[in-house]
Amino acid sequence: MAVKQFLHSKDLKALALSLPGALFIIFFLFIPLATIVVYSFWRTESYTMIADWNLNNYLTILTTKTYLTFLFRSLSMSLAVSFISLIYSWPVAYYIAKYGGRYRLILTMLTAAPFFTGILLRVTAMQQILGPIGVVNMFLSNIGLKPLHLLMYSHYATGLGLIYLWIPFMVLAIYLSLLTFDFKLLDAAMINGASPLRAFWEVTLPLNWIGTCIGLALVFIPTFAATITPKFLGGVNGALYGNILAHQFGSTGTWALGSAMGVLMFTISSLFVFIVFKTVNLNRSGYTGKIAGE
Amino acid sequence: MDTNKFLFFFKDMQTSSYALQLVEVEKQFGDVRAVDNVSLEVKKGEFFALLGPSGSGKTTLLRIIAGLESAGKGSVFIGGKNVTKNPPYARGIGMVFQDFLLFPHKTVGENIAFPLKMKKMSATHQQEQLSWVLDLVRMKGYEDRFPNQLSGGQKQRVALARGLVARPDILLLDEPLANLDRELRKEMEVEMRRFQAEIDIPFVYVTHNQEEALTLSNRIAVMKDGHFEQVGDKLELYDEPATAFVASFLGLNNTISGEVLRQENDFSFIDWKGIELKIPTPNGIKPGDRIAYYLRSEKMHINPHGKSNPVDGSITLTAVLRDIIFKGQYSDYFVILDNDEEMVISDVPDIESLKIGGKVDVSWLPSSGFSFAADGEE
Ligand SMILES: Nc1ncnc2c1ncn2[C@@H]1O[C@H](COP(=O)(O)OP(=O)(O)OP(=O)(O)O)[C@@H](O)[C@H]1O
Ligand SMILES: [Mg+2]
Repeated sequence: MAVKQFLHSKDLKALALSLPGALFIIFFLFIPLATIVVYSFWRTESYTMIADWNLNNYLTILTTKTYLTFLFRSLSMSLAVSFISLIYSWPVAYYIAKYGGRYRLILTMLTAAPFFTGILLRVTAMQQILGPIGVVNMFLSNIGLKPLHLLMYSHYATGLGLIYLWIPFMVLAIYLSLLTFDFKLLDAAMINGASPLRAFWEVTLPLNWIGTCIGLALVFIPTFAATITPKFLGGVNGALYGNILAHQFGSTGTWALGSAMGVLMFTISSLFVFIVFKTVNLNRSGYTGKIAGE
Repeated sequence: MDTNKFLFFFKDMQTSSYALQLVEVEKQFGDVRAVDNVSLEVKKGEFFALLGPSGSGKTTLLRIIAGLESAGKGSVFIGGKNVTKNPPYARGIGMVFQDFLLFPHKTVGENIAFPLKMKKMSATHQQEQLSWVLDLVRMKGYEDRFPNQLSGGQKQRVALARGLVARPDILLLDEPLANLDRELRKEMEVEMRRFQAEIDIPFVYVTHNQEEALTLSNRIAVMKDGHFEQVGDKLELYDEPATAFVASFLGLNNTISGEVLRQENDFSFIDWKGIELKIPTPNGIKPGDRIAYYLRSEKMHINPHGKSNPVDGSITLTAVLRDIIFKGQYSDYFVILDNDEEMVISDVPDIESLKIGGKVDVSWLPSSGFSFAADGEE
């Protein structure tokens, strides 16, 4: 009995401690999400929601070529942006963590500096650089070269913009992971016959894989939901899934369809995160190394 | 053949008979000369200890041998090959680190087999080697554990196994036992000697523990401020220290210093805070110079006052016994002399007649200590 009571009190304590977090999740994540899920099975007519349960919204999305194209475009864009950010962030984070010395904190803050100005300003700044009268093309025309159409109102411009926007998250995630990484392990790897590249592959990457996955998720999710960046940098043909989703809640007023598109976006993002974290083996992350159940 | 060429050829031949050779190696960190003009030869199959106090440059020297640190000057030969310019992964060495540095995300088996995997050895061959080395370090059955599921001693064995598995030309060990408790350290010392004898790979063993160096090695280099004070057979270092530093560093010593009052034959008489002591005269010392004298505690004898029976030529001083530390086969006796100085004597335990607070006679042969010119005031 005494044991049972003890357990009981412990359970209570755990519950009390988890309450604020749970409430937050319920109010700010679960309820809005549940609302959208419910709406996605309804119908909109003349700007009003009608609660007759059906699957038509999903069928529409999955059978309309336009929607599928946008979905595919956004997915490709997100994958490409995540991948390029990954490749770019690793050396930056590594350099800061290893050689930053006492400037480490400042350097890390600097990668996030553009954030202090807000998304809109940052995207506008990108426009000033990449656009038709932007710095790059002005320079090119000044020295007598043709302007780069590639950089004007195109998916490439959007991609560059998105990378620029979200890369600080990736750098930060990898950097924070590297802070707890014992660089001396690389000495051990090299002594035992590993070249620097091999040592990275065998030791550095696996031991910082969780941080890398967090970075990937932090870049993929906002990129997949991007609306402002493609609107400002992508030009007339640059719309992505997020733009047409936003459209449903705007002038067309097809909220139910929009909700279904939102649910699909959430599902795909979740799936991406799930797949990425599927590659994490906690035993081999260096965090615990404990065998489950032991 | 012209003589020059012949000499080079000869030098090469000489080089190749050593497992490791360092030629005038130097390393500078800012204003610190961490390694200062060090030359060294380690023979095949030798257990070589690098002994020195903290900050004397032992780790730096080891890292230069390993290629983890570049030598500012000088060359490193391993197995007869000049590897000065080679990266660590192309030197054919193994290394055991003070904090083990096992890969936390790899199992014991994977950790140990890592060097074999890097050599692209076939799976069956890897298994063979792994099984051999697991037997050697007595870690059979632990292959699937992760490093954090091991005790300190087990981690130590795994680290050793990883260093040995690829049968390197030489194994470098940086204070491998420093993180273990005393009990385990004693046990591992025995094991360490066994491994080394069994596999016949030369060990270069860094330690700041003189006892460890004396127990384990064949030869010792005593390091101070980046340079070698003395290199030689361990008994030679113990019995004939070349410098005051070596004399003070090895063994449990009483340090005595004072000005030379007068000289007689090979002996000087110094004034040790009011006591006149007979001491062997170091080279070139004249009356008026200062001498430092190192007297090993085990070379001294202690007896109840008036009961001593010293050998011919001994010095006997009276003192008061302050404390006794029982060490098993002998005890350390701490005494206060008439000039208020303390001395420690290691002698057979004699509980019957030696009592704390009692008067005792302390005796030793002047020639059993080592004397050097003292640099400056004490
Ligand atoms: N990377 C470095 N940068 C600057 N100075 C260094 C560096 N590594 C070592 N030193 C300096 O070189 C000297 C020798 O250091 P080293 O680590 O080789 O000593 P050690 O004999 O191994 O000491 P310990 O017994 O404490 O391990 C020290 O004065 C140390 O401060
Ligand atoms: Mg050291």
